Amino acid sequence: MTSLRKRSVGDEYKPCQHLLNYKARHGVRGFHILQKCLRIRPPGRVSIKRDEKEVQRCASCGRARGRLYACLLCATIGCWVPPDMMHARSHALSRPGHDLVVDVDRAELFCCICNDQVYDPDFDRAVICAQSAALYSAGSIVKEEGVNGFTGVSLRTDREKCLIDMDQYMLDGSKKSEKRRKTRRVEYRPWVPSPEEQVVLRHRSTPLVEDGSLPSGLRGLNNLGSTCFMNSVLQALLHTPPLRNYFLSDRHNRTLCQHRASHICLGCEMDAVFSAAFSGDRTPYSPAQFLYSWWRHASNLAGYEQQDAHEFFISTVNGIHANSGTTSPRAKHSQSSSAGDMDCRCIIHRVFSGLLRSDVTCIICGFTSTTFDPCVDISLDLEPNIGSDKSFTDSNLANIESGRELKGASGSAFPGASTLLGCLDRFTRPEKLGVKEKFFCKNCQLPQESIKQMSIRKLPLVLCFHIKRFEHSSMRNASRKIDRYVQFPFSLDMASYLSSSIVRLRHGNRLLLIENEGYEQQVPSSEFELFAVITHSGKLDAGHYITFLRLGGQWYKCDDAWITSVSDEVVRASQGYMLFYVQKTLCYKASEFSTGRENYCWIEQNGNHFNPGFLSNPLLENGVSA
Amino acid sequence: MRASINRPPTPDVDEEKRDEPTLQDIINIKLIESGEKENLKELLRERLIECGWRDELKAQCRALMRKRGRSNTTVDELVRNITPKGRAMVPDDIKAELLQRIQSFLMSVAL
Ligand SMILES: [Zn+2]
Ligand SMILES: [Zn+2]
Ligand SMILES: [Zn+2]
Ligand SMILES: [Zn+2]
Ligand SMILES: [Zn+2]
Ligand SMILES: [Zn+2]
Repeated sequence: MTSLRKRSVGDEYKPCQHLLNYKARHGVRGFHILQKCLRIRPPGRVSIKRDEKEVQRCASCGRARGRLYACLLCATIGCWVPPDMMHARSHALSRPGHDLVVDVDRAELFCCICNDQVYDPDFDRAVICAQSAALYSAGSIVKEEGVNGFTGVSLRTDREKCLIDMDQYMLDGSKKSEKRRKTRRVEYRPWVPSPEEQVVLRHRSTPLVEDGSLPSGLRGLNNLGSTCFMNSVLQALLHTPPLRNYFLSDRHNRTLCQHRASHICLGCEMDAVFSAAFSGDRTPYSPAQFLYSWWRHASNLAGYEQQDAHEFFISTVNGIHANSGTTSPRAKHSQSSSAGDMDCRCIIHRVFSGLLRSDVTCIICGFTSTTFDPCVDISLDLEPNIGSDKSFTDSNLANIESGRELKGASGSAFPGASTLLGCLDRFTRPEKLGVKEKFFCKNCQLPQESIKQMSIRKLPLVLCFHIKRFEHSSMRNASRKIDRYVQFPFSLDMASYLSSSIVRLRHGNRLLLIENEGYEQQVPSSEFELFAVITHSGKLDAGHYITFLRLGGQWYKCDDAWITSVSDEVVRASQGYMLFYVQKTLCYKASEFSTGRENYCWIEQNGNHFNPGFLSNPLLENGVSA
Repeated sequence: MRASINRPPTPDVDEEKRDEPTLQDIINIKLIESGEKENLKELLRERLIECGWRDELKAQCRALMRKRGRSNTTVDELVRNITPKGRAMVPDDIKAELLQRIQSFLMSVAL
């Protein structure tokens, strides 16, 4: 895809005269010869070796120290140990035209005359192609078909449809880049009401009734007949910090809502649930009105399977999004299919919307097609039969993956247990797209075998993981549940799953694949903290959902109408089905506030402190644009 | 005149005289041959990321680039400038862990 290169760093880069001379004289033939000498090392790093055991040494001094470079013309290896052991340079200086060398350890181009790294798209493509072909033949990364022909039930049947082609994305990106530059972080300034504001507060607000024993907003929800799937999700949404702040600052209500008259509005219904939960009344509440409205909303959705908390979550956030008044024309069109439109400025998408990146590389020519896929949650496959599966260890891939495995294991109390990090490693590891799913390579103009690599391009404010415990086999027309314990951390650093880390780790410094700095720097924070866990216990159809919530440093168990405080251990031992993490530092961008009073921007630490003054503070009415 | 890049590795002995390999060279080559060097590198990489060394070094590189201007800084200069700082910044416990690993490797080879 030509447009991919339009936005990659490579386009701003100018090759040096020596590289231009080399290519003018020798073309790309040398790169293709070199391609055969590449060896893939863990975790996907490339080096130059003719065979596995070869020890590369400097041809002049016989040492294997420092950096070693191989001449691109004659393959002579020279060392580069500044300041006095510079045999690679002596080689270049004594033989005209032998200026360009390849770093033996990382397969990157270097110019001995310029003393600098140089980049060439054809060279990069040759390396990427060799890497992908090696991964492909490593064998064990064939997409697992699950056990007994079961595959994970995926809500993302429409996912393919909402793939944004890179071209479109970049078009929009360049239009927006101007605007994006203007958004900047605003320093946190605590709000101290002025005397006038205090008067307003005193007369226009209702103080929260604090009974001292429980954090505000913690209220049981009555079971209305197998509705724990709804209650569990509502509890998580009620205590999602940015969502809570939005509804409690009265951004969406029956009076403001334009959709109220015409049809049901889940935003208004959510507002009503928030009001009830934060009213101070602790007697269990019956969300009957919400259930009724949701049911009417969801009945439009074809093939909707009831009683799955995850599907309820998706349809609810879709419903709130649909009635939240969006600014983007594209977002308006995509109400039914995409719950994760990046352009949508509705509260749901500002809170939950992330962007997945998928790179598919043709193993024949190395051409890579990159697509971005918006999402409101990340569905993770469970690792298949951990411990009993020998196929993990008997191939190259085990080596390639060992760097990651090391980390997964260190996060686990007992080896062999499934962990959230393990699932994420699995989610982001290269996957072989075989004969059945042949990818149409735009460069070869043919369907080709390929390697697919997922990564996270943009993290949302609130990261929701869905662990695929329910599987469906279309072959047997049967479903089943996997009762496996998955360890999850209370704090989570997502840095290593970001596209910037993954792509660099897999491919090294290939300008073809690396996005512009400006885009990378958009990531405000990769550190997250767990605040809600929805668990499922029991059988597939006769199970029960409960929610654990972390409020003010204490965990609470919300089991329909009953709320009890529990220890960390109880939460750690639970069988998580949906996990909600919030960014440790919530940053609101200045541009999101249209008041022009930037000191109302707030940054929340740990997401758990909430100023009740926002409840009916009229000064904030225009604060967060909906 | 132009040899193919995949010709066999003939150590084209230059006019320069070769030094006798030091003990350090011998150990280095043993480590490479056994594949242990790869494992050590991977371990070191992991540790340096964990302790924040990499982020700190990245920040230093950025600062240097800003000071000199992007277009007149070469990779070679960057490496020369940053290497001493980078070496000094490696935490002692990581050095100790690596030394331990190298020692036990040498023991296993000697036996
Ligand atoms: Zn040398
Ligand atoms: Zn040469
Ligand atoms: Zn040059
Ligand atoms: Zn509404
Ligand atoms: Zn939306
Ligand atoms: Zn191709």
